[in-house]
Amino acid sequence: MSDIVITGEDFLKFREFFYRKTGILFSESKRYFVDKRLSERITASGHTDFRGYFNFMRFQASGEELQRLTNIMTVNETYFFREEYQFQSLVESMLPEITARKKEKKTIKIWSIPSSSGEEPYSIALYLLEYWKGIEQWDVELYASDIDTEMIRKAKKGVYSKRSVQHLPKNILHKYFSKLSDGTFGISEEIIRSVEFTRVNLNDPASTRPYRNFDIIFCRNLLIYFDDISRRRSAEVFYGALNPGGYICLGHSESMSRISSLFKIRKFPKSIVYQKPEVGYAK
Amino acid sequence: MPNNKRILIIDDAATVRMYHRSILETSGYQVDEAVNGLEAMEKILGNRPYDLYLVDINMPKLDGYGFLKELRTQNISQAPAIMISTEAQEKDRISAFESGANFYMVKPIDPDILTAYCSILLDYGDEK
Amino acid sequence: MGLVRKRSDSEEIHNHERNQDRDFDGLVHQLASSDPEIRTWAARDLAEFKDSAKPLSRQLENETNPNVREAILTSLAVVGGDEAVQALIRCLRSDDAALRNGAIEAMENLPDSVAPVMSKLLTDPDSDVRIFAIDILESLRHPDVEKWLINVLETENHVNVCAGAINLLGEIGSDRALDALEKVKDKFSNVNYIEFAVDVAVKRIKGT
Repeated sequence: MSDIVITGEDFLKFREFFYRKTGILFSESKRYFVDKRLSERITASGHTDFRGYFNFMRFQASGEELQRLTNIMTVNETYFFREEYQFQSLVESMLPEITARKKEKKTIKIWSIPSSSGEEPYSIALYLLEYWKGIEQWDVELYASDIDTEMIRKAKKGVYSKRSVQHLPKNILHKYFSKLSDGTFGISEEIIRSVEFTRVNLNDPASTRPYRNFDIIFCRNLLIYFDDISRRRSAEVFYGALNPGGYICLGHSESMSRISSLFKIRKFPKSIVYQKPEVGYAK
Repeated sequence: MPNNKRILIIDDAATVRMYHRSILETSGYQVDEAVNGLEAMEKILGNRPYDLYLVDINMPKLDGYGFLKELRTQNISQAPAIMISTEAQEKDRISAFESGANFYMVKPIDPDILTAYCSILLDYGDEK
Repeated sequence: MGLVRKRSDSEEIHNHERNQDRDFDGLVHQLASSDPEIRTWAARDLAEFKDSAKPLSRQLENETNPNVREAILTSLAVVGGDEAVQALIRCLRSDDAALRNGAIEAMENLPDSVAPVMSKLLTDPDSDVRIFAIDILESLRHPDVEKWLINVLETENHVNVCAGAINLLGEIGSDRALDALEKVKDKFSNVNYIEFAVDVAVKRIKGT
């Protein structure tokens, strides 16, 4: 490791900038973590000190370095029942409101994007089957999309490491997974078949236009890695894809306050989510 | 004089937030910050309303007027709010009061005047 | 009842009104629709056409629906170019704070188109416009930001324009800015905030 010095003032400068852009505020106790990662990127990008790097990162035309830095400053790991409080909010708060609003039509549409290797859409499926009584009266259509076809292929295969399933309650693991000879876990065909996987690029209108009439969108830990314009375009896609009153769930370190004012903030007992207003502006 | 009043500073400029925070903390208030109206709304709804709001006008995503209008019309908080502007034009003052501000100050803020008005507005809020 | 899978290549997903008339002329026509939802979709899709700055700017002048406005501003920030920037500059002079701030955010994303007009914005007769120009510099990905800011400190007499420049130099300034920062203190020697902001900026730049 190099001997790059990050002073207290450098840390404050970076902290303020990162907070303004992402909504993540590093406390003094994260100093070591932040310094270590900053030093890594300073060296890797060919710089020798903080200031040279900081200005390069802020003013780089492509914005790539900021995305790289965001990537290593946030832990982006995917596993079953990650951020479970949001699934609790789904069955305890969001679905009861949606079913109360929809008197006639007994279908609910949920979109999980990015699907990544499938842990999130399958977690939603498992949560609905195990923890939501309404599943007996309602049809739920579950769509999962990713820009990366390799991820979609993996998701459809449905094979996971021990680490990936370690937060699942034992009974759910036994009921829906089979242990394979190499120590991995294969999710049941029934669950794989319940999710429709598609390839979507959020920045391509032709690719997102067909998505509409959704009640809930899970978009966790994706927008934080996008540049300003791509985030705004994504928020507009979600707005267009949702029914009035529909919800968006972002990752726990993400905030719509850095992205778009199209949505209302809803505070539920277990989480904060964003809601498309039920009645739009007249003209 | 320590007290338990909570004040939310809403401004996109970090140095301005630091400055106002240092003044208000010296007077014993508890201070929290937000970089725009939306984050302010998240902090209020995620926790509980504050006793006083210090609101900048021009901010990204949700400006000061929009924030106050929503705060008042949705009845999220009726606590006093000071609108802080870079200009002292009559139309700006009128817009501030129309959107729900209780007082209007022009930057740069004098520390003594800021603490004096915070104290008056908070006392007034207590009497109501 | 239960989890049901509907295939995404089915009729429902691929055939509907959002697919109608998505060519340039069709979209421009829809931008004038009385239905805000149709206007929003037209504004969004026009981002794919490089000649769309003109119709988008024209609609922005009269558009009152905040959602359509947001879509237009996003698309203008994608399309860029001189016409888009001129329309956005007109928004900076608006009495509507939401429109002003939306224009600032859009301009932050157009360094190539905004850079040529930056010096003019920083010397605009309206001090509000000069303050907004500095707000734009906060996120403008351009190598001249520090140079512009130092120049503001040397020539500007409005306290709040200077305050904005000082704040930003504290984040991105180098040793080159120190002299101008110290001098601006004298220009506003009776203003408590300026002294505070300069001290913060100098401390950040020196890193001590």
